[in-house]
Amino acid sequence: MKKRAVRDKNGVILIDNIVFIVLDLIFLAILVLFLYKQGSGAVMMEQAYAKNAVLLIDAGKPGMLMKLNMADAIAIAAGNGISKENIIKINGNVVTVKLSDKSSYSYSFFNNVDASAYPDVQAEDTKDNYIIKINKYN
Amino acid sequence: MKITKNKRGDKILSVYWFAIIIIVAGGIFGMVYVFYSTPYDTRQVEARLLINNLADCVSYDGQINSDLFSGGTLNPSENYLSKCHLTLNSGDLEAWKNNEQYYMEVKFYKISDLSNPISTLKDGNNNWLPGCSVQAEKKISNLAQCVERSFYSLDALGNQYLIKILGVVAKSEKNVKM
Repeated sequence: MKKRAVRDKNGVILIDNIVFIVLDLIFLAILVLFLYKQGSGAVMMEQAYAKNAVLLIDAGKPGMLMKLNMADAIAIAAGNGISKENIIKINGNVVTVKLSDKSSYSYSFFNNVDASAYPDVQAEDTKDNYIIKINKYN
Repeated sequence: MKITKNKRGDKILSVYWFAIIIIVAGGIFGMVYVFYSTPYDTRQVEARLLINNLADCVSYDGQINSDLFSGGTLNPSENYLSKCHLTLNSGDLEAWKNNEQYYMEVKFYKISDLSNPISTLKDGNNNWLPGCSVQAEKKISNLAQCVERSFYSLDALGNQYLIKILGVVAKSEKNVKM
């Protein structure tokens, strides 16, 4: 009888520890997932690439052709069912980047140029690039 | 009796332990959320690019644009900056459509008198200008961002001029967490 009581006590302590460790791991996993999601989320990336494209256009002159590597954005867009051709749209002086069905980000440029953006499909090693072309002054 | 007391102690300890974990996790969540929800502030870069565009417009290859002269003297038309291929309408936010988010100022000085400009060109929304003097000592991100650059240039006769360009970019709604 005495022996059994000791065994029970040890069992309780072990289960407690396992529960705590499991909860710890769950906590840690949620935290890491949250950090990863925040850093590589579509919303953040849409803003970053829209502003990047705007700054490139603002710095550009007619005739310039600029290449923007968008490998991570293209991967996210593909995961969300957005085709490569529809990631960057330029309408007037507003650049819109769309990486998911639920969100998009627009930002305007001051350089009064006619600009266009399209994916680079020339070669396998440049398939992750987007080309921003400054056609002419408006 | 002794065993019961220890068990209660363990339970109290585990409650505190959970409270600490929740507080730490909440802190990390909060910090990360604040960090990632703050937009990228590109206004300083935009203001510099605006200044570059204006500099190319008034002076090229070290020589002031001849369109700025009339009868051999520097006398630019008031709306000269409208020829600089700039569009100040920002259509990406409804509130910006009738409220220009840029202001620019180009001042020409003769090298003999660097305190009084001989000519000043302005364009954009001058409501953003007071924010520049407020930020002379300390930057306030909620206000429009101001950048000033200056360079020397020559006229056709080789006379030197100092050109100061001020670029102001507001766009706070999309660059600062409001």
